[in-house]
Amino acid sequence: MRDRRNDSTMRVLVIEDDADTANYLVRALQDEGHDARSQHNGRDGLRLALAEQWDLLIVDRMLPQIGGIEVVESLRRSGCASAILMLTTLAGVDDRVQGLNAGADDYLVKPFAVAELLARVAALGRRAERSGAATSLSYADLVIDLLSRTVTRAGKAVELLPREFSLLEYLMKHAEQVVTRSMLLEHVWDVHFDPHTSVVETHVSRLRGKIDRGSAVPLIHTVRGSGYTLRAAK
Amino acid sequence: MTGLSFIVLFGVILWSTTHFMRHQIDDSVANEIAEILTDPQSRDPAGLATVVSGLARHAGGFYYLLQNSAGEVLAGNMRGLDPKQGIREWADGPRSETPRGSTVRGKGVVVKGDYLFVGWSTHQLHEMEEMVTRSFVWGLTASVAFALFGGVLAGRRIMRRIEAVSETTRDIVAGDLTRRVVSSTTGDEFDHLSASINSMLDRIQSLMGGLQQVTTDIAHDLRTPLSRLRQRVESAQRPDVSAAQLREAIAGTVEEIDGILGIFGALLRIAQIESGARRAGFATVDLTELLGTVAELYRSSAEEKRQLFLLSVPDNLQVRGDRELLLQLFANLVENAIKHSPPESTITLSASAEAGRACIVVADNGPGIPEHLRAKVLQRFFRLESSRTTPGSGLGLSLAHAVVKLHEASWVLSDNGPGLKVTVSLPEIVP
Repeated sequence: MRDRRNDSTMRVLVIEDDADTANYLVRALQDEGHDARSQHNGRDGLRLALAEQWDLLIVDRMLPQIGGIEVVESLRRSGCASAILMLTTLAGVDDRVQGLNAGADDYLVKPFAVAELLARVAALGRRAERSGAATSLSYADLVIDLLSRTVTRAGKAVELLPREFSLLEYLMKHAEQVVTRSMLLEHVWDVHFDPHTSVVETHVSRLRGKIDRGSAVPLIHTVRGSGYTLRAAK
Repeated sequence: MTGLSFIVLFGVILWSTTHFMRHQIDDSVANEIAEILTDPQSRDPAGLATVVSGLARHAGGFYYLLQNSAGEVLAGNMRGLDPKQGIREWADGPRSETPRGSTVRGKGVVVKGDYLFVGWSTHQLHEMEEMVTRSFVWGLTASVAFALFGGVLAGRRIMRRIEAVSETTRDIVAGDLTRRVVSSTTGDEFDHLSASINSMLDRIQSLMGGLQQVTTDIAHDLRTPLSRLRQRVESAQRPDVSAAQLREAIAGTVEEIDGILGIFGALLRIAQIESGARRAGFATVDLTELLGTVAELYRSSAEEKRQLFLLSVPDNLQVRGDRELLLQLFANLVENAIKHSPPESTITLSASAEAGRACIVVADNGPGIPEHLRAKVLQRFFRLESSRTTPGSGLGLSLAHAVVKLHEASWVLSDNGPGLKVTVSLPEIVP
């Protein structure tokens, strides 16, 4: 078990009726350093969610007693501002839109890889911290201006195509976190299916070529089995 | 309802005619009384009696009576009455000396102690009442009879139509999905109902067909990967297997399972699309932006194969549909073109607007699809011999086809001389 207790540790409540899945999720989250609990039905889950402070709620869509959608709606109506990740076997677009409209921040279709879940959990954790009013982002010697859509590395301008800029922007917003392929497809291309092509890999490679070329410190890395990350490697 | 209005009509006509006639009588009587009283001779009781007698002699339809306070008849052509003042009418009136009928309506006044009554026969009035009532009764009876007769006829017809529909639905419930309700040529409400029922049955039949298709596909075509998976896991159970081999077997198993889940997902997606449930989420879609995104997603794949990728789309091309499904549709077509064309080929994604329709063309100059196989490629899991070695499940084109049908668009697979050309045509929305 890795010791990852740092300021990105989150209090997570998993509301999932299938005991095996619930244990699997809790264990994975705890291994990652988070403080995770679980409840097995909608009513108890809702009660505990409102009774204590949580950074993230993972809510299964199909729950006994009170359904997942209703739990999320109730939470939002009660003013709960925690991040909410919805899990479901329903993969239709309408199902996702319904979940997001109910108040969920993200929507993950079962089954999913642990890496996918953990990456999204981390991203949701950071979502609360971000102010949203920033006009520029910086990491190491990389600076991007969100207004003029320009990039400099160590003071030198880097020419990027619009899509490459969006890709870099997303990586920077999640600097040092793992960003999965599907997260990139969703947020950079607004595509919610897997095109089964190397489009993401290709764009990341191109971006890496432009950003890391001629620099001693590579910033864009591929994390095998998970995705990509922006990190100043030691 | 008709009967009720009939009766009301009858009542109104009867009342207004008799009321009119009574009014006429009252007017005449009032005039006559006025004339009598204003006659100079009438100033004294004896003169009044003379006047009344004179009038009674040439009655002309009027009834006259003058009697004193003792009840003795002084003049007139009537017997004595009880001296009630005002307008009075009685059905079974006093017999008079004139042979007119026995019903009278008139007015009585007291003149210097004597009672004067002038009246008029209501015979005509009663005859009128009788006549009106009689005609109404005849009319009502006739129309009721007609209505009953017509109702029975119509009822029988309706019963026959209903029975026909019931019989059809019974057959359908028993399992014959091909039956449809027979409609007549009259175009009446029943035909509208029949048409609706028939189109609902068409839908049910196609949904049932789709369902059968999915279950057949799942049963038949997923057995292979599942069997493969079983073999893999079973061989990992051999006693001579090393830890590294076990780890590899497990990794491979997860991969295989992901593949199978992907197939399930695609099949369910196709079924969901084919059921038409997604149509509710239709909105205006910017096709220019969408095709641009598709080009972006696949351009690098094409470049990796040293293929030339050309994009030619006009600005502001808009259609109505589901953005995500349309994205998937064109992604599938482009992906197909890239996958099945050799290196150095040219892939073209273009669109144009003409005559209110947006035409999107995905073309390549690869080997194409032989004409006799063009319909078969739309079947699930069907893969051309030449593609069997490339990865993929063969669901791409069936998914694309399902999206096309959902959008009620048309598509054509044709020869690009050489290569495959897919043309999709959708109604354009002009902003």
